[in-house]
Amino acid sequence: MTEQRRPALLCLLFALLAATLALTSLQPLGGAGRAWQALFSQLSSDYLLLQYSWWPRLSVALLAGAALAIAGVLMQQLLRNPLASPTTLGVSSGANLALMAASLLAPGLLDLGREWVALAGGALAMGLVMLLGWRRALAPLVVVLAGLVVNLYLGALGMALLLFNQESLSGLLIWGAGSMAQNGWDSAGFLAPRVLVGALLAWLLIRPLAMLDLEDASARSLGVSLKYLRLAGLGIAVFLAGCVVSVVGIIGFIGLAAPNIVRLAGARRLSHRLLWSTLLGALLLAGTDLLVQSLGQRAAMLIPTGAVTAALGAPLLLWLIPRLRLTGQRAPSPAQSLSERRHNPQRLLAGLGLGVLAMLLVALWFGQGPQGWYWLTSESWSVLEWRLPRVLAAMGCGLMLALAGTLVQRLSANPMASPELLGISGGSAMALMAAVFLLPAPGNLMLMLAGTLGALLTLALLIMVNRRSGWLPERLLLTGVAITALFEALRAVVLAGGDPRGQQLIAWMSGSTYYVDTPAAAGVLLAALLAALACLPLLRWLDILPLGAETSRALGIRLERARLGLLLLTSILTAGATLVIGPLSFVGLLAPHMARLLGLTRAGPHLLGAGLIGMLLMLLADWVGRQWLFPNEIPAGLMASLIGGAYLMWGLRRL
Amino acid sequence: MPLFALRFLLLFALLLSTITQASPRLASLDWTLGETLVALGAPPLAMAQVDDYHAWVGEPQMPDSVIDLGLRTQPNQELLAALAPERILISQMFTNLTPRLSRIAPVELVQLYTPGTDTWTQMLELTREVGRLAGRDQAAEQLISSTQARIDSLAGQLSRPQRPLLIIQFMDARHVRVFGPNGLYQVVLDQLGLDNAWTGGTNAWGFALVSIDALVGLDAQLVVVEPKPAGVERELASSALWQHLPGVADNQVITLPPVWSFGALPSCQRFAELLSAALEQAHD
Repeated sequence: MTEQRRPALLCLLFALLAATLALTSLQPLGGAGRAWQALFSQLSSDYLLLQYSWWPRLSVALLAGAALAIAGVLMQQLLRNPLASPTTLGVSSGANLALMAASLLAPGLLDLGREWVALAGGALAMGLVMLLGWRRALAPLVVVLAGLVVNLYLGALGMALLLFNQESLSGLLIWGAGSMAQNGWDSAGFLAPRVLVGALLAWLLIRPLAMLDLEDASARSLGVSLKYLRLAGLGIAVFLAGCVVSVVGIIGFIGLAAPNIVRLAGARRLSHRLLWSTLLGALLLAGTDLLVQSLGQRAAMLIPTGAVTAALGAPLLLWLIPRLRLTGQRAPSPAQSLSERRHNPQRLLAGLGLGVLAMLLVALWFGQGPQGWYWLTSESWSVLEWRLPRVLAAMGCGLMLALAGTLVQRLSANPMASPELLGISGGSAMALMAAVFLLPAPGNLMLMLAGTLGALLTLALLIMVNRRSGWLPERLLLTGVAITALFEALRAVVLAGGDPRGQQLIAWMSGSTYYVDTPAAAGVLLAALLAALACLPLLRWLDILPLGAETSRALGIRLERARLGLLLLTSILTAGATLVIGPLSFVGLLAPHMARLLGLTRAGPHLLGAGLIGMLLMLLADWVGRQWLFPNEIPAGLMASLIGGAYLMWGLRRL
Repeated sequence: MPLFALRFLLLFALLLSTITQASPRLASLDWTLGETLVALGAPPLAMAQVDDYHAWVGEPQMPDSVIDLGLRTQPNQELLAALAPERILISQMFTNLTPRLSRIAPVELVQLYTPGTDTWTQMLELTREVGRLAGRDQAAEQLISSTQARIDSLAGQLSRPQRPLLIIQFMDARHVRVFGPNGLYQVVLDQLGLDNAWTGGTNAWGFALVSIDALVGLDAQLVVVEPKPAGVERELASSALWQHLPGVADNQVITLPPVWSFGALPSCQRFAELLSAALEQAHD
């Protein structure tokens, strides 16, 4: 039973920690003795805070943590991806969007109960994911991709609503950061029976689920109906996550971290992983929440627990990644090609190139002014002063992100990989955020410096954490996920606080070309073209690396050097684009996928195609974003995910 | 908006500015400066997020002739350049836009709610500064004296509550903003000579975001500023903690219609009037 000892010790450690924190947070409320009395007395105003706030809050934290961890284990097992978490299938973003839309369009719905609106939104989002993956029997790769796209899409829609309605939606930002504050036993009462049912169902499914450790084919030969097993398992996971999200908001990281930590600690069998993850998840969330309460009493400000779990969980995961072995780990499913390979890509590429050129001309010559639509004439051509930098920046960033995305997806053979996921954007954005909020009046040069510094620090961290593992793609991505989570946590805290500067932050983070001037834009485009040239000598690596580590080594590639080189190039590209248009453009994820859907599978055409698509996408997004709601501008990054996401979903449905 | 209407509006705006002559063509990114301009009788040529101004500031009403510039954080540059205002007024929130906007017209930064300064004094300075920029110095002095006189007269006949006031705004059913120093509500409380029950810290914008349990144990007259987000009413009805706060069970909570909490003199006067009327009613 040595396999069980380490996870058990870990849980014990966290239990002790949580107990200590509980005692600390009880100090101002009269100590543990009084809390104990409160638990067993009649509800009365003598114990008001203990009975209506402290105990319900602890119960909700334990329940929610356990539920998220169970959901995480199920997701990771079913999707065969250690990066999968309860949010992978779009539950949180669906719930978030539903709540936003309801607050703006049909506030009456919220009177029926906020949790039901959230639950419905989460269920709809997951239904969409399932629908997209149904024809492929919910194959992990397709489900993960569909989930990712749906997530991005709903997230972008939510972001757009937020951008134009920050005042009305400020309450939802607190929910989005995951505050555990309780006013009574309502939430605990809602969660308890649902979590119990979910947990029981998960235990009933353990045996068939364990079969999934085998390959699809062997599992099928043992009589497991993969499609329905996946539907049932994902359904339970989404139900659990949806209940938690609807009651306490978005709690980052528990569902991702608990199962991974337990696995890294040595629990291999599914039943063990499920058991210890559940415990660990509950303890992690409760411990964090108790810590938040004691801190909050001192800081006299609201610290949302969900954001803190992410902020604490990220360093924990970073610390664990290089230390523990990933021995029990299956290799990720190879990125099987999603569509027919095209043998003569030249015509397609030429078409894309013409498309970019045409879009460029339209974007420069056609637009709206105070008198409506007009073509550029000799009198009005001073408008180019405003249009040119945006068009150039859009092209440059589109190209950079598309190249970065192609590199990292080929490097890791993971369909969820994108430059955003490597954490470079997140790191760079964190530094920029710090500059905006801490410096009195930061100028553009200052912001540039801060952003570059952030990107470099993140890169250093990536190198430090991954040097010994020889740049194993799995670990690299986990590192990136941790950094990205840290960034999202920070953002959630800042936005939840209701600081009016949050609006500026939202505007920049949605990926706008608004803030670029002509020299900077020209520089970006030039740098992007140079980077594209730098990719040419790497094509051999890029063709071979997706075939796996053994094959690559056998073909004479020095794996570590290749991975480090590609990583460096990706970081530079991502940092460059992030500095200009913010971290959330998604083009890095979408463009390589779209190129692949068009049948460009070999490294050369894939890179070129993705680059052209990236440019086209960003140009189109920037232009449409500026015209659609004129004089309001929808940032290019948001628009790109709305346009590209719709195309990707359509492509996935056709598979 | 149809083309001809836009043209008409533009013509109208042009006409207006030639008739009133003295007032230069100003664009404002900020609602607080916008409301001051309207109160001075010199509405801006263009302002950012006009629709949201109607929803969140409301009074004084922004005339329909004011052209919408789009988001406050990203005012439409092509449109702004085409309108060619004489000056662009911004608050400290938008200083990062100064370099690019000053290519269109001189940018004037008018500050309010700077931490560490007396808000009321700064509000008066802001009014004079905006008056100077709009060529309405006299109107500014008038606005200041009339607001001061109105608030003084309200303070004189105020029915003072027995407990200090706790001014909150609901974010959702479990979280509220509590308002304190360096904010509009505090300025009005000071001017009316009323006490604030919140002694905890606040941020640079004069409020603290807290969960409802932080209000337990405060002996205060609760004042809720609307809007309440949808669904909050229902959840509060079953919230044990809220029901136990002073005055909630016996319906003593004062509810006020929305007032722009980052506003200038016009919003101040509005809040003072609403608050004293509500206190009057609670007293009866």
